[in-house]
Amino acid sequence: MVGLDGAGRNGEKQGRTRYRLAERVEEYLGDPADAGTVFSYARCIALDEREEFPAEICRGLDAWGVPEYYVPAQFGGRLDDYEQMVQLMRALARRDLTVAIGHGKTYLGAACVWVAGTREQAERLGAQIRAGRLVSLGLTERGHGSDLLAGEVAGDRDGAHYRVTGEKWLINNATRGDLLTLLTRTEPDGGPRGFSVLLVDKRELAADSYRCLDKVRTHGIRGADISGISFDGALVSGEALVGAPGSGLETVLKALQLTRILCSALSLGAGDHALTLALDFVRERVLYGHRLIELPKTRAALAASAADLLMAEALAVTAARAVHTLTEELSVVSAVVKYLVPTETDALIARLSRQVGARAFLKEVYARGMIQKIDRDHRVVGIFDGNTQVNLSSLISQFGVLGRAYARGGGDAGGAAAAFSLGDALPAFAPERLSLIARTGSGVLASLPDSVGVLREAAARSETGGGEPGSLPGSLRGALAAAELLCESAERVHAEIAGRRDPVPAAEPRAFELARKYALCFAGAACLGLWARNRDAEAQAGAGTARHLWHDGTWLHAALDRVLTKLRGPRRVPDTGAAAAYERLLNHLCAARDRGELFSLLPLALAGPTTDRRARAGGTPC
Amino acid sequence: MLSETTTQTTTVVEPEAETAQEAAAQARVEQLERGFGDPYDPDNPTGVHALLEADEAAEISEAGEALLDEVGLNADFVPVQLGGRLDRLDTLARVMRSVFRRDVTLGLGYGATSFMAAIGVWTSGSPRQQRELAAALLRGEKAAVAYHELAHGNDFVRNEFAAERAPGGFRLRGAKEVINNADRAEVLSLFCRTSPVPGSRSHSVLMVRRSELDPARWRTLPRYTAVGVRGCHLAGLEFDDHPVPESALVGEPGQGVELALRSFQVTRSAVPGMAIGAADSGLRTAVRFAVGRELYRGAVMQLPQARITLAAAFLDLLICDCLSLAGTRAVHLLPEETSVYSAAVKYLVPKILNEAMYELSIVLGARFYVREGEFGIFQKHVRDLPVLSLGHAGSAACQATIIPQLSRLARRSWFIDGPAPAELFRPRADLPLAPVDRLSLASGRDSLSASLVAMVEDLPSSTPTERVVQGFALRMMDELRQLQEEALELSPKDRTALASPASFALADRYTVLLAAAAVLGVWYEARNGADAFLADPSWTVEALYRLARRLGQKLPEVPPSCAERVQEEVLRRFREQRSYDLYDARLTV
Repeated sequence: MVGLDGAGRNGEKQGRTRYRLAERVEEYLGDPADAGTVFSYARCIALDEREEFPAEICRGLDAWGVPEYYVPAQFGGRLDDYEQMVQLMRALARRDLTVAIGHGKTYLGAACVWVAGTREQAERLGAQIRAGRLVSLGLTERGHGSDLLAGEVAGDRDGAHYRVTGEKWLINNATRGDLLTLLTRTEPDGGPRGFSVLLVDKRELAADSYRCLDKVRTHGIRGADISGISFDGALVSGEALVGAPGSGLETVLKALQLTRILCSALSLGAGDHALTLALDFVRERVLYGHRLIELPKTRAALAASAADLLMAEALAVTAARAVHTLTEELSVVSAVVKYLVPTETDALIARLSRQVGARAFLKEVYARGMIQKIDRDHRVVGIFDGNTQVNLSSLISQFGVLGRAYARGGGDAGGAAAAFSLGDALPAFAPERLSLIARTGSGVLASLPDSVGVLREAAARSETGGGEPGSLPGSLRGALAAAELLCESAERVHAEIAGRRDPVPAAEPRAFELARKYALCFAGAACLGLWARNRDAEAQAGAGTARHLWHDGTWLHAALDRVLTKLRGPRRVPDTGAAAAYERLLNHLCAARDRGELFSLLPLALAGPTTDRRARAGGTPC
Repeated sequence: MLSETTTQTTTVVEPEAETAQEAAAQARVEQLERGFGDPYDPDNPTGVHALLEADEAAEISEAGEALLDEVGLNADFVPVQLGGRLDRLDTLARVMRSVFRRDVTLGLGYGATSFMAAIGVWTSGSPRQQRELAAALLRGEKAAVAYHELAHGNDFVRNEFAAERAPGGFRLRGAKEVINNADRAEVLSLFCRTSPVPGSRSHSVLMVRRSELDPARWRTLPRYTAVGVRGCHLAGLEFDDHPVPESALVGEPGQGVELALRSFQVTRSAVPGMAIGAADSGLRTAVRFAVGRELYRGAVMQLPQARITLAAAFLDLLICDCLSLAGTRAVHLLPEETSVYSAAVKYLVPKILNEAMYELSIVLGARFYVREGEFGIFQKHVRDLPVLSLGHAGSAACQATIIPQLSRLARRSWFIDGPAPAELFRPRADLPLAPVDRLSLASGRDSLSASLVAMVEDLPSSTPTERVVQGFALRMMDELRQLQEEALELSPKDRTALASPASFALADRYTVLLAAAAVLGVWYEARNGADAFLADPSWTVEALYRLARRLGQKLPEVPPSCAERVQEEVLRRFREQRSYDLYDARLTV
């Protein structure tokens, strides 16, 4: 049933084959523009209008075996590589966020068990998931939202059982799901050790002891089952306890480190889709006697969007690999990713909508109104699994450690190098290494000087004609200048955060501003690390248009320029000659579209020819 | 509102004195607020629950339309000389703000569309056309502005809908698309190609009556659905060689583009100020959430970041209102200069409002995403507001109006022209009728920036806060000088559609500078006035801080008391149900 040549663990070829999984799911799903396929754009739009759950599409994903990837390999599933998982979820999200979220939520629901459950619990849950059962996460309550310590749903010990009372609200798949990991207050006084996670099987509850709440009408992902569940003294077996009594909050926070990283896949998919739609539009649309893509302002907007997307991809890929190689630092990695990627993707989609103008606002004129749907759907990504405030607050709470560690070169630089080295096999993920605080700092930021060193050396070689074959003399000069500016910013940010002690969550706006800047520095460091560790392999051995992005530091220069622009403001970034890099990026964007490849740092083919044949025959301009 | 150049003398009015114009404006706002009633009363047919339901059903609120009929809102779009109430554009924006505060769909679908359709007739129509349109509007009929063709969008000079010469008049042929109220407006203002020659002298505007059309030769095309303003009747019109008499022509043949550009100066100045109402409701909803919501053992409102975000949104609304005020009053006081100001208002105000809504959505967290219940109206405003940046006055089109004028302003106006009259900045001061014949497509003068330069000399500096304001003013003046240098270097190519991103960035900065000038001007005029909040420079400091940040300037330290003062005001206006704008209007009457 499942074609699986992507999960091999045998060394050197893994970097190439890792992406086969996402490609295979693409092949299976077929061309989404073809309304005859099950998982088509047309159907997703129609379901959204009717606010209907994409049940048939989800059944197709079940049949292919997507749920296998929600279950870690040691518990009987096929999940042994979070980078692969990101690409898989991204492929689904690229078609439709309601599906990706409605289906992928089972991983979220189960993550607490993967992190803290017994082997037996995990194997049993794994079997259920592989059999197509939905699992949801019962975390939030009507009155408290992200304030988990205020949770009121009680799990009172009653002999060998727990008696559960109270209401969880705005829960994905609360109604459709069979199982539910539930954060319950097991000590009446609450507190950090006063909550426990229970794995509740609704089918085992007395029918009159719980009821599912109505589906909530939402701004986007309108077809999703966002509802709630209310318990009235529901009797749950003591065996449902996940982890030690009182460990619930810790378990949930650790599980969220994983899911927050996976959320980046949802943003990448939405960004991929919006960029493609806007690109097709501006290459076709004629205004003022020009195709829009010929207007310098439009070109600049598209190129900036392309660079933003690659920056987000670099960060997401690094973070996904960090699950395996920087497990102790995920409290930082996940907060950076979950804040930055959705926020930047919201802005990206808004910018691309503006290029499309009225047709992004109207529903049936261009691409069935898909852009407004992506915009509405994606706004949820910044909200769930810990919203922007929560993630920035998480960074603020770690300021002191992060700032001081940076000054003394702390952080697991070896783990970061392993995260960056795409060709290397990933060690197995060890959930017991998860920690609520990155005690030794951030390896990704610690790697910054080394990465810049690699770039500096490569730049020097290229000055004297000793660079990569076919590269222009001095072609890395600009990227190096941008990297050095990033280092200055990182120094300043760390110097300032090292001395701060902010109350959380009641921190001052300056702390939030610094957390934002910290996240941007982190993203820049991820771009540099990824480039430094892979440029030779990708530029020489990579496939398709992705290979060209690595030449002459093209993507790196553009992505760093974007990071600097966001860090310092557009007028405070010295000119490093990034205009040429953006121009090359735009050409690669068009070429990838014409060849049916994903615009990505990595070689990923898409299902179906994607540029309109007619347009290509007429020579669609770029 | 309109006059030929006869009534030019501007009478200086003391800001405190409540004039007849001011009393009438206040009474009109109160009448609307009273009519709309308590937004949170679940039984109120024009409350948030009913409006959300109408939006869900993609219908314009019937109760809302009935109320506006009863109030006779159309009179606000008809000049006083023609029997209506329209005497001032700033008042129109202020009154319509009450409607937009409730519902953008009603604001546009009932109101602003008719005004946009009418303005060309008020500026260029014959006395007979003006009387006819005034009578129709005062009877409660709607007018539609049928300019848009999907194929050409902002590039309306290439529109194809044709009015071909025929004996006794014209024959209409072609389609107009995405026209608000196309399916129900009695009066249609049609932008038609009257010559096949490319360029700007080939179009004319015709005014036709729906009831006089031959059903066999025209039809309404199906409604479009959109993500926002779902209740608006956005439809198309199709004509098949339909004859219309010569008398349908508005203004001279071939004058269509010029007429449109002149009309845009009025609508671009006025409509964004109306939309401030929607963002006011967005802010009010977020404050309601923050005050009522407990997180981390305290109200959200106690979190500094939440307080700052709400105050920032309030400041954004004040900034938008200052620019909108200067823009609307300029149509009366500086008609030659409004080409640039109106484009600046239409570009910057919707942009700031949409950004403010994004920031507010973060305060609301998951509640932003819920389309029902107490806070469900918020996402509706988020979906509705972007409509303001579309259509024939899109953001890029507005920047494109500004860019070609920058180098001329840099050469001939900045640091040379004298300042604007003080009345430009006084929200409650009387205005003369607007001399619409003096609206000019490009003037090369900019008194608003000149006011900024003049104020640098004049600003008080006796308190630390006042000195901070003065410091900001100096920075803004430096910014203008820098802008001047850069504008002088623009190449001729930068004056076309092929303008560089840098020239668009220059236009963006210029609009922010104009907003800063307006903020300074409003405070300068208010500092001895009756409104204690506007008189206190705290809001000015905070507003200029935000604008300086938008410009990427190095930011100075500012007294913490300024932010506190603004935050208190956000809460006061929430508790006392006062508007989040320059008027501090009572919202429950």
